[in-house]
Amino acid sequence: MFDVLNPSKIFTWIEKLIKFINSIFFILLLVALTFALIVSPPDYLQGDSVRIMYIHVPSSWIGLASFTCIALISVLIFIFKMKNLILIAKSIAPIGLVFTCLSIITGSIWGKPTWGTWWAWDARIVSMVVLGIFYILFILSNKFIEPESKATKISCIIAIFGFINIPIIKYSVEWWNTLHQPASIKIDGTSSIHSSMLMPLVFMLLVFLLYCALIFLMKYKTEIIRIKKKNLKRI
Amino acid sequence: MIQNFILMNGYGIFVWAAFAITFITCFILYYKTLKTLKKHEKDFADELNKLSSDQRTIVLEKSKIATKVLASYNKSI
Repeated sequence: MFDVLNPSKIFTWIEKLIKFINSIFFILLLVALTFALIVSPPDYLQGDSVRIMYIHVPSSWIGLASFTCIALISVLIFIFKMKNLILIAKSIAPIGLVFTCLSIITGSIWGKPTWGTWWAWDARIVSMVVLGIFYILFILSNKFIEPESKATKISCIIAIFGFINIPIIKYSVEWWNTLHQPASIKIDGTSSIHSSMLMPLVFMLLVFLLYCALIFLMKYKTEIIRIKKKNLKRI
Repeated sequence: MIQNFILMNGYGIFVWAAFAITFITCFILYYKTLKTLKKHEKDFADELNKLSSDQRTIVLEKSKIATKVLASYNKSI
């Protein structure tokens, strides 16, 4: 059933995928930037500062989605004890951390012209910082704890425990009075964002997702090579 | 028009700073990831070359990954 997750089989696809992403990435980036910086209109209230949304929102989504993936994979690791899943989780973590940090930094830059401050002890912002701390703990536990089996166990516990923070981030703007605005895009309801702003947002999200896929594939390939090198004499 | 595009009605400094930080960070992550990958490919190839020719042949016959990594490393040098 899990033969498709076999590193040997995946390895043959990695290079093809990397080449494919490289071939379309810059064209899509150019289109997305044109929409985000030129075509999309300024907001009636926030003016041109709204353009920060096109990098802030996809970064936040990727930060949240990556941790959710890591937490789910951690549960699967506990159930199936598959080494390959550990490699996948380890490859996703740095991407999630970078985008969580970018979300906080770009949010802070957006906050200055919008709220008049770089930082506020706001529920949404603080819970995003907590997410960043969970990412750091996950990465450090995998890097410094020996033996590897113990590191995997501890990092999985961190990921599953940290997953509690995900709904807190999502609903923080509804549960508490915060400076942060509520979600404008809803899957289960009517979105309040205009299509002229939604389209650049979707383009930027696509570009960021392609970038994440590229980094993930490169990191995953590195992990497979590292493991193969360890086992070279056993082959 | 270009001036308006750069200044963005006074918000230019915030918008450009946010975009610059994002793209510089992404470039650094890409560069570091690529460098680590190349280093591991080189280490793997070095380790493979340390084996006797018989052992190396067996490894390359048995492991598709070893063959691909070696090919990729040879291409990059």
